[in-house]
Amino acid sequence: MPKKILVVDDDPSVVKYLTAFLEDSGYETITASNGEEAFEILKSERADLVTLDLQMPNETGTRFYRNVTKDKNLKDIPIIVISGLAGRHLAVTKPVAVFDKPVDRNALLKVVRETIG
Amino acid sequence: MSTLRNEDFKRLLDSIPCYITLQDKDLKILWSNEFHRRDFGEPEGYTCRDFYNIDSSKCEICPVHNTFLDGNIHSKEMTLITKKGKRINVIIYSSPLRDENGIIEGVLETAVNISPVKEIQKQLIMLGQTVAGMAHSIKNIMMGLDGGIYIVNRGLEDKNQKEVREGWEIVLLNFEKISQIVKDILYCSKEREPNFAVVSPNKIVSDIYHLFKDTAARYAIEFKLELDETIESAVLDPDGLTNVLSNLVSNAMDACKMDIMKDKHLIELRTKKGVDGATVFEVADNGVGIDKELKDQVFEEFFSSKGDKGTGLGLMVVQKIMREHGGRVTFRSRPRQGTTFVATFPKREMPQPAE
Repeated sequence: MPKKILVVDDDPSVVKYLTAFLEDSGYETITASNGEEAFEILKSERADLVTLDLQMPNETGTRFYRNVTKDKNLKDIPIIVISGLAGRHLAVTKPVAVFDKPVDRNALLKVVRETIG
Repeated sequence: MSTLRNEDFKRLLDSIPCYITLQDKDLKILWSNEFHRRDFGEPEGYTCRDFYNIDSSKCEICPVHNTFLDGNIHSKEMTLITKKGKRINVIIYSSPLRDENGIIEGVLETAVNISPVKEIQKQLIMLGQTVAGMAHSIKNIMMGLDGGIYIVNRGLEDKNQKEVREGWEIVLLNFEKISQIVKDILYCSKEREPNFAVVSPNKIVSDIYHLFKDTAARYAIEFKLELDETIESAVLDPDGLTNVLSNLVSNAMDACKMDIMKDKHLIELRTKKGVDGATVFEVADNGVGIDKELKDQVFEEFFSSKGDKGTGLGLMVVQKIMREHGGRVTFRSRPRQGTTFVATFPKREMPQPAE
């Protein structure tokens, strides 16, 4: 069964890009356009990894990050931060990796493969 | 000290446009020049600290004191308050005044008003922040372009026309975003005279409506047009109006996209007749609204509440264009309910061509 990745970004172009690329690389994807939506999805659907844009309006990305890392059922889901503002993410625990936009997709794939196979 | 009693030297010192005082070891002011007395009053008998009413923490590093110690010139930036209560930024230089045996008998403190420089410095800092903000927006757009190109290439490989088209649309959308940023920068960076012409406001508003209709649909935002058909013409700069409206509409769309509380979103674009023949344009949305704390900052230069997706240029451009037209832009907003921006263009006659 393919591993499932949740892509969270409020820019539809980015969502389309990442899902197309990750699907081409053999993963299943689900998407959310903000942190609240992403958190709701994770309550009902299992994801093996999350790619997260932290700079979404209303800080929903940061809140999502905090909620997930505090939730005992979700805190072990690896999160990869993909953001236009790299290095500004001093949240509770460390993300698996942080990528600056525009993302180097091969480097991203390498981290994904190393993390969930 | 004899030189200071010389009338010529005294006049010379009085006419230097800097604040000059002579201080002794206890920082007592012995003498001040005319320029200093004009803005600060008579200082004789006071110590420097008492006279300027400076709290002692700011005097820890005292250039005058240091000059007494080592005989070198020292400098420091400070904020002083004049006798009229005006705050001025100064840079202070302290230099030793020696007697014929080389003993330091006093220290000359020369303060130069650098308030205008400070103002420019502040603007440069803001400019720097804007450029950084813009770089971040462009990085996001580049990611979008990367994505569009990836999808187009995938479509070409799979010979999938639908996918090529989809990818191409992403490319175009992000290309449009870059064009808007460039236009905004150009609008901000130079003074330009509006190109007044007799135009049909309803026609321009309809064009904007058609330009944004598809984008609104993509985000499931209902987009409505309400034209006052009795408005026939107005004298204004069509490019300016187009820029004002597209900035306001894309802001309205962002406000709807940012709102996760409501299921249905709506943007209304209206034309109305104002008082004294003015033409009024309204852009109303039921998006996130503007918080009380942010209301004062909305028109501030380079202010943005959109994280790295906003440059803070949009409303600045809108305001600049409205000013050029002698008009104004206002807004009413309720947090979580929505916002309405109102741009009012005063009635204007077409300037007569020169004979």
